[in-house]
Amino acid sequence: MITFKEIPDKSSDIKKILHPIVKEWFFNKFEDFSLPQLYGILEVHSRNNILVSASTGSGKTLLSFLSILNELIDSSEKGILEDKIYCVYISPLKALSNDISINLLEPLKEMEEIAKKKFGIRIAVRTGDTTQAEKQKMLQEIPHILITTPESLGILLASPKFKENLKKVDYCIIDELHALAENKRGTHLSLSLEVLQNLSPGMCRIGLSATIAPLEEVAKFLVGYENSKPRDCKIVEISFLKELDVKVLSPVPDLADSSHSLMHKEMYKLIHDLVQENRTTLIFTNTRSATERVVHYLKEKFPKDYTENIGAHHGSLSREHRLDLEKRMREGKLKVVVSSTSLELGIDIGYIDLVILLGSPKSVARCKQRLGRAGHKLHDKIKGRIIVLDRDDLVECSLILKDVIEHKIDKIHIPKNPLDVLAQQIYGIAISSRIHIDDLYSLIKKSYSYKDLEKKDFNSVISYLSGDYSSLEERNVYAKIWYDKETGIIGKKGKLARVLYMTNIGTIPDETFVQVKIQDQVIGKIDEGFLERLKKNDIFVLGGNTYKFLYSRGMTAQVSSSIDRPPTVPSWFSEVLPLSFDLSLEIQKFRKLMEQRLKDKQNKKEILEFINKYLYLDKNAAEAIYNYFNEQFLYKEIPHSNKIIVEHYYDYDKELRYVVFHALFGRRVNDVLSRALAFAISRLEHKDVEIGVDDNGFYISYDKKLNVMKAFNMIKSNELKKVMDLAIDQTEILRRRFRHCAARSLMILRTYKGRTKRVGRQQVSSSILLNAVKRISIDFPILKEARREVLEDLMDIDNSILILKNIEEGKIKIKEISTDIPTPFAFNLVLQGHLDVLKVDDKVEFLRRMHKLVLAKISIKK
Amino acid sequence: MNILLKDLALYLKKEKALVISDIHLGFEESLNKQGILVPRFQYEETIQRLKKIFKDLEINEIIVNGDFKHEFGQISRTEWKDSLNMIDFLLENCKKLTIIKGNHDKIIDPIAIRRNLKTVLGYKLNDSYICHGDFIPNDFEFHEAKNIIIGHEHPAISLRKSGRAETYKCFLIGKWKRKNLYVMPSFNLVVEGTNILKEKLLSPFLKQDLKNFNVFIVEDKIYDFGKLKDI
Repeated sequence: MITFKEIPDKSSDIKKILHPIVKEWFFNKFEDFSLPQLYGILEVHSRNNILVSASTGSGKTLLSFLSILNELIDSSEKGILEDKIYCVYISPLKALSNDISINLLEPLKEMEEIAKKKFGIRIAVRTGDTTQAEKQKMLQEIPHILITTPESLGILLASPKFKENLKKVDYCIIDELHALAENKRGTHLSLSLEVLQNLSPGMCRIGLSATIAPLEEVAKFLVGYENSKPRDCKIVEISFLKELDVKVLSPVPDLADSSHSLMHKEMYKLIHDLVQENRTTLIFTNTRSATERVVHYLKEKFPKDYTENIGAHHGSLSREHRLDLEKRMREGKLKVVVSSTSLELGIDIGYIDLVILLGSPKSVARCKQRLGRAGHKLHDKIKGRIIVLDRDDLVECSLILKDVIEHKIDKIHIPKNPLDVLAQQIYGIAISSRIHIDDLYSLIKKSYSYKDLEKKDFNSVISYLSGDYSSLEERNVYAKIWYDKETGIIGKKGKLARVLYMTNIGTIPDETFVQVKIQDQVIGKIDEGFLERLKKNDIFVLGGNTYKFLYSRGMTAQVSSSIDRPPTVPSWFSEVLPLSFDLSLEIQKFRKLMEQRLKDKQNKKEILEFINKYLYLDKNAAEAIYNYFNEQFLYKEIPHSNKIIVEHYYDYDKELRYVVFHALFGRRVNDVLSRALAFAISRLEHKDVEIGVDDNGFYISYDKKLNVMKAFNMIKSNELKKVMDLAIDQTEILRRRFRHCAARSLMILRTYKGRTKRVGRQQVSSSILLNAVKRISIDFPILKEARREVLEDLMDIDNSILILKNIEEGKIKIKEISTDIPTPFAFNLVLQGHLDVLKVDDKVEFLRRMHKLVLAKISIKK
Repeated sequence: MNILLKDLALYLKKEKALVISDIHLGFEESLNKQGILVPRFQYEETIQRLKKIFKDLEINEIIVNGDFKHEFGQISRTEWKDSLNMIDFLLENCKKLTIIKGNHDKIIDPIAIRRNLKTVLGYKLNDSYICHGDFIPNDFEFHEAKNIIIGHEHPAISLRKSGRAETYKCFLIGKWKRKNLYVMPSFNLVVEGTNILKEKLLSPFLKQDLKNFNVFIVEDKIYDFGKLKDI
């Protein structure tokens, strides 16, 4: 059973179980147990499964190690310390050393100093960076506590020698669970945990997570299932301990009527002022390119203030660059650091006085995570500022702030039944032991991620792994596991199997990065999708400097340095963070409350009071929100949770018709709805439409007469999945995700015979692979998985179906309006921002269309 | 015009000669050997596509303009078999088969010799000279020729509009010195080729400004896209 632990244990009870040395150490160091420790220490002591959800810096990591060290020291003192692994500690972070040294190595050392002797407790770290010699040593001197990553655990479990040491594990700690549960690394881990539990049936699981929701689901994910029921787990939830000083700021008094250039000028001035008022500032942007831009502009606008003391930190910068930056931050040499998502996790960066969020963080959890980087000490006040640039942003951020203050948090999505990870794990299991596929199937179904795995999908993965899809004579090339259909036993196949597994394990896709070079000198990396958009002589920003693009060959882009020229290419495309669904519902609810008040003819003062009370805003911000809603209300109508407004708008200048769907459901849902609509239109009318999608809605634009609503009404909730399978079939995103899935399922070996393949190579090969796989079967498991990943993980088909159902049942009404100037709520969607534009036609149709354009161009010339 | 673009091949009407370039047979096997487990379709599809071309044309001779076989490490038995079968298939469909040796063709000679064929580095047919294009020939026949037909580059072009980009195989037709230069797309059906708008080109014939070259895209038919500078 999953239960919440509501009452903490008594400090005195905890003291009773602590070994005198541990107790002495603890109270030398701390006044009393922290709240998470009061809840958790006894549970770990009793080897109960437990999930602790609390913010960074609340002493969670120490709580788990304290119980375990207590146990080990006790055993050591009694002379019964065994040569076995007592505890496996798993963290997604590779750079664990700091956390481990603070929470494990130092305490142990200090306890030994108190005891004036060594306890003989061995701790070993096993990651991808562990040397061969260290690995050998680990086999001889078995560590009592093993520190590792999900990937390295996977390798250890597939190694027959090391596996022997994992047969009597007592504790398994999974740290930073929030960073694992919502992606395939977590899926992979959930299966590894079942394999480990199978070896060590008595093992308890300790999950440590930042604030996360829904806790029950995360707990089930942590502990898995036994006999189709979730194993027991206690949940400890500790909300924000730190005091908050958080505000939403607008750079200009009037967000609606300020010019773009003024807004930018004022925004940088505001950032500059905030940075100067504080000792150290961390700025979060939502994209890598924005990170680059902010560094670039600050240096350009305030050359005296920002020189060596500013830095950018994001995923496309080299590892060395990032490590150097983190070091300089810890040493206090940097005044300001700008980051995208890369500094959200617990990398140690020293003390930060102020966190600035540029634009909406798009989810409450992310907002908390980012703000939590400020004032790292336990009782420090958190100081954060969210800077908004338009009125949608203002509304959105105000509601995020409300949820942060009221301790509400949006639900994460945990992937279900990924077949690529399954293939990788089955391969790992097969190379370390022979197993009957029925036993394997029931082992797999113990994992939360696969508890509903269908037998036919499982079988198709086994067929794939055993090379069933190729002709008999070629099977040697394709079969990965040995499978005896008569007996149902699977096992290792081929001499290279183990090496292949160890060198290709993992679920994080190699990013499609292109190296940027000036002749032979490497400057950095850019996203492959970004390269796609570059034309010759385009100027772009990388690492705070500008470069001119010359040409690319394979996975290298040649550039020249470009001094004093403004960038011509604005942004990355695909990495925009989507608004969480829960948050979108909160905004819709607020819209409804506002409409009621406006309809009831409440006066401005009353409504302002309501806004202030509801949203924790200052006067200016509340006024701006009032004006925004009032304009929309007076001009037409306010869309909200029970009403989608469909706005037919004609742009006379461009002679384009727009149909704007005020569907505030977040991009993940809108991506589905808009693509389904575009697909329906293409089937119904064979016409060319453009689609724009963002968090607040989507639009279809076209130049001829088109019955969009007829197409929209054709989309039914019970057919959506089928429609979407077809609608995404020709898309770039499916191609890209297929490459990731192919690598995870070892169809593309990233490392083979000692050679590591560049991503470019993988990319080329995966498009070849995709074509080939489609010819075998449209339900080939890895292709099926790529579609699932796009529709369920990247997009949100489940909630899209829910929305359509609500429309069908009349819970959400559709109301059409016509405008010749877009309504305020439609403004951003139609006229601003970088929207994904997609067209639905196949490759040949696209060519014909382009050909017509060229012909037209040529005829004009003649 | 004596020269006709026919799917991925080029046809000399008067001579009834068909030129194909860069088949790179065994491309999938080479991927397999690098750990990319692509199932095999290339051989069968190449045969099917050639059959369609043969059906529409009267062919006296076929010229394979280099890189017939893609090589990567050891050649497997299947690859030997496929190569020979492909040559036999071509022989069945013409009276004369000429194989031009490309820069990838390290083992073409042992294969060709099994069918009593000799490989050459260039081949002249009246005023047209066919060569792979990895170097500029220096023989008399080459200097005499009006039209140069090369492969090697695998030209393809990516078209883009509002976020969408697709790559297509294409012919490039322009000038080299005072001769007409025909650059053929590859007959390798597994990959598109080199995007001429973006990537650095290899052939010494193409170390020049290509803006006035005409682009012909090959898909279900041949599409004239005008000059490269207009795309």
